[in-house]
Amino acid sequence: MEHKKLRRCIVRHRQTHRKFYPSIGLPILIVMALCLAVAAQESTQDADGERFFLDQIEPVLKTHCLECHSHSSGEMEGGLTLDWQRGWAVGGDQGPAIVPGKPEKSLLIKAVKHSGADLQMPPEEKLSDKEIELLVEWIRRGAPDPRTNQPKMSDQGDPTDWWSLRPLKRPAVPQTAKTEGEEINPIDAFVRRQLRSKGLTSTPRADRRTLIRRLSFDLHGLAPSPDEVDSFENDLDPAAYMKLINRLLDSPRYGEHWARHWLDAVHFADSHGCEHDVFRPNAWHYRDYVIASFNRDTQWSRFIREQLAADWFYPEQTHLTAALGFISAGPLELSRASTAPVTFDYLERDDIVTQTMAVFASTTANCARCHTHKFDPITQDDYYSLQAVFAGGGKGDVEYDIDPEVAKKRQRWNAVLEAAKNKDESQLLSPEHVESIAMWEQNLGENTSLWQPLFPKTFLSSDGATLTRLDDNSLLASGNRPDKDTYTISASPSLKTLTSLRLDVLTDDRLPMKGPGRCDNGNLHLSEISAFLFDAEDAEPKQLTFRKARADWNQSGWTIDHAIDGNIKTAWGIFPKVGDSHYAVFELEQPVELTYSSQIVIQLQQQHGGSHLIGRFKLYVTDADSATAIVLPDAVRTAIKLPGDDRSIQQDLAVASYVLQRKAEQELADLPSQTSVYAWSSQYSHGKKLPNSMTPKTVHVLRRGDIEKPGNVAMPGALSAIQILPSRFELKTPNDEASRRAALADWLAENENPLTWRSIVNRVWMQHFGRGLCETPNDFGRMGGVPSHPELLDWLAVWFRDDANGSLKELHRLILSSSTWKQQARITSRSTIASPENDGPALDTENRFLWRMTPRPLDAESFRDAVLQISGRIDFSAGGPGVQQFTQTKGAQLTPYLDYGAFDWKQPEAARRSIYRVVWRGTPDPFMESLDFPDLGLLPAKRGYSVSALQALALFNNDFVLHHSQVLANKLQAEHVNLDEQLVQALRLIHLRKSNSNEIELLVAYAQQHGLAATCRVLLNSNEFMIVY
Amino acid sequence: MNHSRRDFLWNIGGGLGGLAVSQMLAQEALSVENKQPRSEFNGGLHHRAKVKRVIQLFMTGGASPMDTFDYKPELERLHGQKLGPTEKPEGFTAPVGAIMKSPFKFNQYGESGRWVSSVFPHQAEVVDEMAFLMAMASKTNVHGPATYMMNSGFLLPGFPSLGAWVSYGLGNLTEELPNFVVLPDAKGLPYNQKGPFSSGFLSAVHQGTVIKAADQRPIRDLFANERYDFATRSADRDGFELLQKLNAKHAAEFSDHSQLDARIKSYELAARMQLSAPEAFDISRESEETHKAFGLDNKITEDFGRRCLLARRLVERGTRFVQVWSGPQGATGNWDNHGSIPKELPPIAASVDLPIAALIRDLKARGLFEDTLLIWTTEFGRTPFAQGGDGRDHNGGTFVTWLAGAGIKAGVSHGQSDDWGYQAAEGKTYCYDFHATILHLLGIDHKRLTVRQNGIDRRLTDVHGHVIEEIIS
Repeated sequence: MEHKKLRRCIVRHRQTHRKFYPSIGLPILIVMALCLAVAAQESTQDADGERFFLDQIEPVLKTHCLECHSHSSGEMEGGLTLDWQRGWAVGGDQGPAIVPGKPEKSLLIKAVKHSGADLQMPPEEKLSDKEIELLVEWIRRGAPDPRTNQPKMSDQGDPTDWWSLRPLKRPAVPQTAKTEGEEINPIDAFVRRQLRSKGLTSTPRADRRTLIRRLSFDLHGLAPSPDEVDSFENDLDPAAYMKLINRLLDSPRYGEHWARHWLDAVHFADSHGCEHDVFRPNAWHYRDYVIASFNRDTQWSRFIREQLAADWFYPEQTHLTAALGFISAGPLELSRASTAPVTFDYLERDDIVTQTMAVFASTTANCARCHTHKFDPITQDDYYSLQAVFAGGGKGDVEYDIDPEVAKKRQRWNAVLEAAKNKDESQLLSPEHVESIAMWEQNLGENTSLWQPLFPKTFLSSDGATLTRLDDNSLLASGNRPDKDTYTISASPSLKTLTSLRLDVLTDDRLPMKGPGRCDNGNLHLSEISAFLFDAEDAEPKQLTFRKARADWNQSGWTIDHAIDGNIKTAWGIFPKVGDSHYAVFELEQPVELTYSSQIVIQLQQQHGGSHLIGRFKLYVTDADSATAIVLPDAVRTAIKLPGDDRSIQQDLAVASYVLQRKAEQELADLPSQTSVYAWSSQYSHGKKLPNSMTPKTVHVLRRGDIEKPGNVAMPGALSAIQILPSRFELKTPNDEASRRAALADWLAENENPLTWRSIVNRVWMQHFGRGLCETPNDFGRMGGVPSHPELLDWLAVWFRDDANGSLKELHRLILSSSTWKQQARITSRSTIASPENDGPALDTENRFLWRMTPRPLDAESFRDAVLQISGRIDFSAGGPGVQQFTQTKGAQLTPYLDYGAFDWKQPEAARRSIYRVVWRGTPDPFMESLDFPDLGLLPAKRGYSVSALQALALFNNDFVLHHSQVLANKLQAEHVNLDEQLVQALRLIHLRKSNSNEIELLVAYAQQHGLAATCRVLLNSNEFMIVY
Repeated sequence: MNHSRRDFLWNIGGGLGGLAVSQMLAQEALSVENKQPRSEFNGGLHHRAKVKRVIQLFMTGGASPMDTFDYKPELERLHGQKLGPTEKPEGFTAPVGAIMKSPFKFNQYGESGRWVSSVFPHQAEVVDEMAFLMAMASKTNVHGPATYMMNSGFLLPGFPSLGAWVSYGLGNLTEELPNFVVLPDAKGLPYNQKGPFSSGFLSAVHQGTVIKAADQRPIRDLFANERYDFATRSADRDGFELLQKLNAKHAAEFSDHSQLDARIKSYELAARMQLSAPEAFDISRESEETHKAFGLDNKITEDFGRRCLLARRLVERGTRFVQVWSGPQGATGNWDNHGSIPKELPPIAASVDLPIAALIRDLKARGLFEDTLLIWTTEFGRTPFAQGGDGRDHNGGTFVTWLAGAGIKAGVSHGQSDDWGYQAAEGKTYCYDFHATILHLLGIDHKRLTVRQNGIDRRLTDVHGHVIEEIIS
């Protein structure tokens, strides 16, 4: 339908500036004559100027300017109107637009010439040189403009007075004559009233075979089995039909089919799309979530809340994290994320806003990205408020616990771990931990003084650093900071046997990042540790060799083994856990005996360079068996030597923190590992994981959608056109991005939101009838369609919201049990009463008024699944990672090369239902595409149905069809001996009916020549199979 | 069947006469402005068409203008000076290096005196056939979005490409070959994989059919895979016949829907395509001289040459739109010469140069330039500044595109880049203007070819586009 704004009617006021001067005397006469001449000239000029304006100038203004600068458009950007003379004479925010006679001084000319960077109009499209010349000429002539009356404001009236924005009220169901006390389905009452008014009649109910096939494909995307057809045809129970509907709705096959409609709507795929079309191995959890939601019949308002903010509304039901896959369903432009990050954010959020508002509210909010919506009451500010809702997160793999109990435990032990690290007294010393600490001390027994600190007698730096011994016998490096260094320390242990050495690297406020390293980032690299034993009797030192080493923490790729591998090029490191003390224990190959005079010399080589040096450290020795050697911090060791009552709070805290940290770490390690879903989190930005959650980014209202022209800061909100709901969210914790999403979910799920309820019932209706009551499911605005049955749509919306309590299954039952849905597709003589001759105008060729059922071809998934099913090989196992029905090899960049032709259809995963296929956004399955599987780069409003030679070739020759023609033939041959029977059975399976002798004769002739598989292939291509009536 | 009933059925289906079956069920409401192609417009929609078919050559990666067609003596003077932006501009992959002159020698050619560098010796000889856009600009410096933009006019996925719009607007010249054919580089698909030839929100029938020129089975599913031994040629032929009989019987019962007729017709066309397509793809039918002229005897030019020759055979037989891609996505084997212009550009340039010159001569000799348009495109240009040692980074500021053939004023050029070849200076054109011009030549007003999608009347040229009168005859 046309939405052209009504043309403003220009009232022409001819202005004639005739001047008359009284004449006295010759000179005056001369003057007068001159004046008259001038006046005459002026008069001609006026008329010419006016014509010039009307012929040359007004069309230019109309084409290029008035859309944003006129009363009728309702837009006066910059306060400027160009639809009447005073508009440009007074001008807008920047003053008069035109100085008559002086084009060079007129802002309008400056703007259209794009001569200044700050004022370029029209912003997107410069006028042609010829048009600019005309404007200059017009102004030079004095800018004659006959439009002196102020035009009327937009004649669209109240912009919110539009069918989809009006408050929802339940219309009265039309009164219809009841037949034999039978309840009339309200749908039929509305539809029949409209048919009657158009002079149309409904078509009789379809036969049972047709109905069960239609129902099965509608609810399951599968054909019924021949036995199911028979039993339904023979079921005498008056409730047989309702029983069938209920059986189909109760089956998990229902969710598998209907989930696909939703996944289409939200352009879900298993890869990013765009240049770097990278796989999302965890996206499928969202797919399974959608299937489960349909099967468990999640209330619609809850479905909205779960997908937008499950983490906010249901934090304890951690399995619902998968619902957030909704937000990240669309593409990710990885190349832009890395090289053009500024534009990335706005475009990424644009896609999310577009999707959210289209699928839940049938609103094209995105049309207000560059300017206030031209047709609907959506302001640019509204649009950027919606962007602000999604300003605090990004797409990425989010970890969660499928089992909420596990999540609870994880949360608890993470809290303990955090408290232990922060030495949080109130938590650590709380009664709940007393017992476990006591247990630990008890088990520790006598092993408390296992490690003996070494008193460094001599200590040297090879490269000029200053080593200082501190009171606790640790050594601090300071002064000169060389690139590399080796420390040599000597000491005399007082043990009889030496089994292990221990090195503590310690934090110190004097070190960069508090150490323990001397590098700017606090890191250190220990290349090699060596130890030598000097016995008094023996002058030659004996090098001690290490059996193994362990550390409390290893930098990735820089493990402690590197310090004893004899390779100076490898080393131990502790990044990024700087600012914490760490320790390493080195076990000797075999224990060595020490005497009173034994001296030990330890060398710490730090040869990596870049000043990756140890800042402060302390050495220990032990004679204990290495397996039981527990490394206790000094404070703990000191504390546990004291009886409980003698310990200070600090000491209690030291013990508790030490014990509980280890316990928490152990408990956490013992929990089942977490699951990931490709979803949404404040820990992601630009496709990358951040070290910490971000605070929401600032979103500006971009003038003309231009990233270079940021305007006001947008606050989270939704549409201002729904006046009954608050359009800007009042958030207690605006920096908690989930609260923003939650507010939008609440806004959408609100009972009073008229868009939401109309949107979903229309979407469901569209799937049942092939077209919506409103034909544009994503757009209920003025650019979209208007409903064919507005009252029915409203009645259904209210009924679904209130009576059905948001249950989709209830809505299905209502629609599917209507006579309207049960009509046959075949046109009977009765319905053709309205023929072109006698009732042309009322003829409804497109069946918008539902005088019959519209036949529809099978969609890609239904065809594929039905073929698998008929050939007897379909695998109904549900859920799990997607099946890849292609081979994959490395591509030139991050995107792999997919070959669908190389897939082996004998593979067992070939038999899974289509919903479980991996859908690669940028390289979708060409066979499915030929059957109109949509491009998931943008939001597909609905599936198309095309017919072409290439599609026919795909259906005839694709490996999938041929392979399963063979499988079906094999099955028929295994079950039936002679060809006739095999063919009779083939027709029973494919066409769900008995065969007649004529067609069997035809088929036999073909099969005898070309085989049964070739015959099955032809039958799977037949119209009778491909179309659902 | 009585007369009125037939009329009635006719109306339901929208009629079969004259209308391409492929479009019959594409459930896209043509907006009121759109019309059927009209014979008095020479097959155009809105005015007389000068062009009926298009071959698009696409140089994947961003062909360097100042090393090919855009001669910049100023770069020689400033070579080695650090004059570029100090901060990395949005979309550049690396910090900006010093000004870098072209390592190649430029000469003037033809009556038009076009400057062409030594990497294109063969195209230099036919330079008088071309009309150049010397100041094309892109809105992005990123491959993916830029490739979309040059093909669909939008930076985002999901929009129909030029070929899809043309197929949608004008339909088929022949029903026996695919209407929009894509010939990707043997080394792989371009950036965005199949995105650049998607039909977006138009019906799937308008999407580019990918043909693997060197493959045993160039069109997917034209014939059955040999491993299915029951699907012989005679089983195909008799199978189509059997299918039509079954469908006819069925239609007699259910003859109330045009879908049935459309599907019946589609199988007739499929059978005809099986007969005509193999002939079209069989380049062995071309003479030895032709093979040689397109460089099929040389490893360097063989792949691109074969696809140029195939493109010619296809348009000759009625395919509406053919895309020939040079180079796959990725960092090597294409026009994305970050590493080294002197090392990376000459081989890729040599692989297309001779075949392109041959294609121009061949189209002309066969009279196909009467109604065929040839366009040479890329996603953006490259920086006048060095990247790394002697490579160049992405630059959407200015780049070169040329057109040749029907409706084109041969030997002219429009627009000019600045002295460095960094930004467009004069006569700047975007893909919108380029696409508007191509549609104009095809008899389509780019502002009137629209499809409503999610609330917006979408066009190839978004809200932009001027026909570039300067280059059309």
